[in-house]
Amino acid sequence: MANSTVHATSSHASMPGLSPALPIAALVVFVLVNGIILTYAFQSGSVSHATATDETALNAQRGPMTTVGLAHLNHSFPKLAAIAPTPPVPPDNPVTPAKVELGKLLFFDNRLSGDTSTSCATCHLPDMGWGDGNAISRGYPGTWHWRNSQTIVNSAYLGKLFWAGESLSLEAQAKSAATGNLAGNVDPAMAEERLAQIPEYVRLFKQAFGVEAPTFPLTLRAIATFERAATNSIDSPFDLYMRGEGELSDAALRGMVLFQSKAGCIQCHNGSLLTDESFHNLGVPKHPRFEQDPLSQIALRYQHYSRGVPEEVYRTADRDLGLYYTTKREADKGRFRTTPLRYLEFTSPYMHNGVFVTLEEVIDFYDRGGGDDPDKSPLLVPLNLTSGEKADLLAFLQSLSGSELLIERPELPPYVPMEFAITESAP
Amino acid sequence: MPIPTIRNTTRYVCGAGFAFSALVFCFGMTQDDAAPPLAPLPDPVAELNPLQVELGRMLFFDNRLSGDDTMNCATCHDPDKGWGDGLPLAVGYPGSLYFRNTPTLLNVANTRYFFWDGRLIGSDMPTLVRDHIAEAHFFQADGRLVIERMRQTPVYERMFADAFGGEPTYGRILNAVTAYVKSLQSRNVPFDRHLTGDENAITESAKRGLELFRGKAGCLRCHHGPMLSDSRFYKTGVPVNPDIFYEPLRHITFRRFFRTLGLENASAFREDPGLYAVTKQDHDWGRFRTPTLREVSRTGPYMHNGVFATLENVIDFYNRGGGGDARKDPLLKPLGLTEPEEADLLEFLKTLSGDQITVERPERPPYELRRLGEE
Repeated sequence: MANSTVHATSSHASMPGLSPALPIAALVVFVLVNGIILTYAFQSGSVSHATATDETALNAQRGPMTTVGLAHLNHSFPKLAAIAPTPPVPPDNPVTPAKVELGKLLFFDNRLSGDTSTSCATCHLPDMGWGDGNAISRGYPGTWHWRNSQTIVNSAYLGKLFWAGESLSLEAQAKSAATGNLAGNVDPAMAEERLAQIPEYVRLFKQAFGVEAPTFPLTLRAIATFERAATNSIDSPFDLYMRGEGELSDAALRGMVLFQSKAGCIQCHNGSLLTDESFHNLGVPKHPRFEQDPLSQIALRYQHYSRGVPEEVYRTADRDLGLYYTTKREADKGRFRTTPLRYLEFTSPYMHNGVFVTLEEVIDFYDRGGGDDPDKSPLLVPLNLTSGEKADLLAFLQSLSGSELLIERPELPPYVPMEFAITESAP
Repeated sequence: MPIPTIRNTTRYVCGAGFAFSALVFCFGMTQDDAAPPLAPLPDPVAELNPLQVELGRMLFFDNRLSGDDTMNCATCHDPDKGWGDGLPLAVGYPGSLYFRNTPTLLNVANTRYFFWDGRLIGSDMPTLVRDHIAEAHFFQADGRLVIERMRQTPVYERMFADAFGGEPTYGRILNAVTAYVKSLQSRNVPFDRHLTGDENAITESAKRGLELFRGKAGCLRCHHGPMLSDSRFYKTGVPVNPDIFYEPLRHITFRRFFRTLGLENASAFREDPGLYAVTKQDHDWGRFRTPTLREVSRTGPYMHNGVFATLENVIDFYNRGGGGDARKDPLLKPLGLTEPEEADLLEFLKTLSGDQITVERPERPPYELRRLGEE
């Protein structure tokens, strides 16, 4: 099969020369290439590493027609693509500099949590990849959260937020995080009155929204706008490459082929976001923390209880039930939303429970065909990747991270006492 | 049992004149000439389940009833400070400061209305406990989370099973704390012994003070019955505590609280609206519940906003006829008490405190691991 591969890449290499003049020939080549990639996908380790000519071959994949199919799934997937330069913006919350400025302050302000201990940046630290670096997020004081803190970076591109896609907008996500009892635990009216006690915020809300007093919904809009405008990573080597502005290493290019073929990643990690935003059960191993830390057990059972699962499920569940909390459908137990893959370099540990510290572990996990959950997705099968292939896949995954997005923590405006006079009548 | 003389109360009614009649009208009830007499504390609540009381004691001191596991009932109701906090104004949940004074919990089983503004009914103490757990300015805790914390604590699981025949639930948590709080009662109160015939229970000065209390000082008008409170609401013109307005964390809590009661213009308030926030009746503006005087010598600072540090300040305030507020209750008139009379009155008030009720602070029972998936 090594020959086939070389043959394929050789044919492919000729495509740029052929395609402008000979579209039919190009189509033939495309079909041929796809067929070979499918073959490649079925190989069990005997495939040689692609040669230097692969780069040119893969460049051709940037063409508009490329959709890689996996025959055994009878399926085609949205093609990989560069990320859009800017994320979608909801029509009712346009991005303005004033909102970004305000949102940045609010993102870092502890006063938006119940006991003023916790800000968005407590679990989404810019220098921890805008996550918190823990397997399971630390959460609110007196608690420990039950899921990994996801990066904020590029979250504005997503249609579904949180590990089980519970929120459909950054605004809604911010609300859940600020008020959630294991996260911000704030009373919205308290948050509003705190902001009203800070003249600088009153001024900034007026500037950003034209209102006389801060409100909680506008607070969420400002934070979402900050995230939308200031936490995007669009300069990964992969994106530069896909835009024709940069090159990828040979290893990364080979990894990209594997990603879309033998390794099967493309089944879920597809399109310009590298996620189908759908839900899958991978059988991710349980994190030992849930057997070692009472607070984690409390958090998990609290999640069962507060999300309203049937009593029997509450009493017998031993793991995070994922999408099931929302749907209460048996088939959704253990299904989580496919994560996007950009900025991975900075967002360890991985998976909804942070059980994997390195990308190598993640690749090994998929190579084994995922975990051993009886309800595991049939998409996961052992991949039989060679160590060389794993290295290539890793190189591709590494190409998905651009420069680190760091930000200086802003100085927060203080509370200021009211200035009115209390006129007290004399006795 | 001594009762106020007709002559004294009649003088009050006449003295208050038309304004007082209007007040009676506002209350929609008749103020009897003879206020109910002073009386000893009723016997302790008899039907309390000792297992529930003991569980309630544990919970009373357990931070896990608060959202971030930092405060417990005794944070503000400290047994060593008369079951109050010794502060003019309560602290509140971290990041907030409360805007009213913490009342004592002793004898609260006999209270008809809870809180200075009477917003909860005394017959339903579990709701009072729930309010403290859930309120943003108190414990800011989600009940479901508190339940899980209890269920993760085997000592509690056993105690709930023993006390209630089942696992920890929110209702059982509230009922256990209620049982404990209802058990908190003054003991061996000199004044009560005096009322029941012990001639030597209180000093001669206190006896003179008692007569002033019933007579010239007019206290009995509102401070009567076994709790020395009529459970009604008055505007006495207590001076504003400026801390409520100028300390940012208090004013935040102040505004937010009144908003939750539906008053959207709280930032314009320049005094605590008191009962008005509950009833939304104009004539209730600035009225507060008559507090019990039991244990009063241990529960300073005084008044709904803790503006008076000592009982001497309070006596002085009433001697002046209350505050200068134009809408002050017409019951309040200058009393003309002499210094010795003030001293006697103070001496009497001290007889309302019994033996110090202290309690051993329990050790916090630890969380334990469970085998997830198994009950």
